[in-house]
Amino acid sequence: MASLTVDKITKRFGAYSALSDVTFHVEEGSFCVLLGPSGCGKSTLLNIIAGLIPQDAGRVLMDAEAVDHLSPRERDVAMVFQSYALYPHMTVAQNLGFGLKMRGISKTLIRMRIEEAAQMLGIEDLLERRPRQLSGGQRQRVAMGRALVRRPKLFLLDEPLSNLDARLRANVRLELKRIHGQIKGTIVYVTHDQVEAMTLGDMVVVMREGKIHQIGPPQTIYSQPSDRFVATFIGSPEMNIFKGRAAIDGDRCIFRGSGFSLDLGKPQSAVISEELEAGIRPEDVEIVPEGRTPLRGRVDLVSNIGSEVFVQARLGEEVISVRAPKDTSLQPGDTVSLSVPPERVHIFHRGRRI
Amino acid sequence: MTRRGREGVEDAVIRVMRIVGILFFFVIVAFPFYWMIVSSFKALEELLLTPASLGIDFSRINFKAYREVLFEHGFMQYISNSVYVSCLTVILSLVLATLGGYAVTRLRFRGRAFMSYSILIIYMFPAIVLVVPLYVAFSIMGLRDSIHVLILVYLAQTLPVALYMLRSYFQSLPVEIEYAGLTDGCTRFGVIWRIVIPLSAPALASVALYTFMIAWNEFLFAFMFLDAPGKFTLSRGVVQLAGSVHLSKQLVMAASVMVTVPIVILFLFFEKHLVRGLTAGAMKG
Repeated sequence: MASLTVDKITKRFGAYSALSDVTFHVEEGSFCVLLGPSGCGKSTLLNIIAGLIPQDAGRVLMDAEAVDHLSPRERDVAMVFQSYALYPHMTVAQNLGFGLKMRGISKTLIRMRIEEAAQMLGIEDLLERRPRQLSGGQRQRVAMGRALVRRPKLFLLDEPLSNLDARLRANVRLELKRIHGQIKGTIVYVTHDQVEAMTLGDMVVVMREGKIHQIGPPQTIYSQPSDRFVATFIGSPEMNIFKGRAAIDGDRCIFRGSGFSLDLGKPQSAVISEELEAGIRPEDVEIVPEGRTPLRGRVDLVSNIGSEVFVQARLGEEVISVRAPKDTSLQPGDTVSLSVPPERVHIFHRGRRI
Repeated sequence: MTRRGREGVEDAVIRVMRIVGILFFFVIVAFPFYWMIVSSFKALEELLLTPASLGIDFSRINFKAYREVLFEHGFMQYISNSVYVSCLTVILSLVLATLGGYAVTRLRFRGRAFMSYSILIIYMFPAIVLVVPLYVAFSIMGLRDSIHVLILVYLAQTLPVALYMLRSYFQSLPVEIEYAGLTDGCTRFGVIWRIVIPLSAPALASVALYTFMIAWNEFLFAFMFLDAPGKFTLSRGVVQLAGSVHLSKQLVMAASVMVTVPIVILFLFFEKHLVRGLTAGAMKG
């Protein structure tokens, strides 16, 4: 196992800047998730860490030593690809053992490691099959097994779950968490799925258009997003964002949106009289009895997804999403009183959270 | 006209075209081939008496022509020369086209795009344009009357197409399988040997077959370059035989069968490998 440092990595494809000045550090044994929308450069970064494509500038360090001059073989990393990339002309056992065979490990040891990994993943019965005889979920397991048997310094996983159906994905996600607990490997995991990032990561690196927006533990990313992009990218349904300005009213700071106002509590560092945005997560809005607050909306839409009920309401000229209690009797057309704790309102100035 | 009616006419036209096509093929290719084989099994007298007879009498099948051609007219030597030339051409062009095709597909180097597109330009020069200058050049160098120079010329002829075919095939292989090989600890050559070549078996079989056919059937260069009968290839040998004084038709027919049948057998043998893709199952389900 090794720690990983990515230091000011830059990569261009022609005129297109895929990565610019990307820097972060992953502790030994830590599970790091690179999160971002597709095309943000996260897979490119993974390929650079593996040594499959060269960077234009910057360094990759493992255990604080630069590995840029090393081939993928010498870096001793294992990779799981989104498409699985199994060797179609080999059996499952041969697929699993290939990396060990290439490193000159004895046949008996290879056999042992294959059996161990197959057991961990529940694919003992498939060892003599070929990839084309496997289901998508089984292929995914073989692809993970191929990385596991290697016991590499670093695991690189490129959207390993994105080709599974939703139900399977949830199961494998839990299993991945369990396996990480067992092997305690250093993992860099690329995904565009915020649920995977939140549940799996010890740390999350949020990226967009080749730049890092925020690095931190999932909880921090969620509760203190560094900017508007991170705030809206994490969380489902998306955070409500309202344009407006702040004003001082007595000893309170008030956010004035179009057709409504929000109490922001005691004035802090709010930028007075400039264009601001207020962000409120649907789950931070409380539905309160009539007349308790000045914040009043009219229900547009009620969507019950079983475990939760989400309500969309008109608030002045804006629309707000609110998570309602499961037993809510709200109907479209009803008037609803809302309350938002001032500390739960995120204020963004020119995109940055303040 | 109704839609159904129009489709009916289309179907009828396609049916007729198919029959015409088969007939055309039969008359142009299959009939002479059949006649050649039948004639090669007959005795000379029989052939002279009824040259147009198409039937074959199994009780009177006669291998005399083959025996004569093989042992009295030096065809054993010609066959072994042809096998040697063709096999060496196939092996060399597979090796060179695999490495070259892989390089222009996956590796980044100066002039890669130019290399990639210039491959086929070589093929634009017809052999007949090249044969005289090459004849002169090799004569001056004293290399002309040699089987190995012939192999060199055949390579120059087959490599462009071989490279082109393999390049197209390599481009269709998912690069991630190769990435997997590299992170699993293969070198570049390891990836080519253990992953690219096994997965490209259908394309390699096509290239091998194509190259073999070119080298086996080639006549122009063999005719121009080779002087010593000990170095003749089969096609050159057949022409030598056909042009010799005591021409006997069934000998030429037997020799022709020996030229054509190996190709047919080879084709039938390789045919099942040609189409089947091998990458099924590598990628997501």
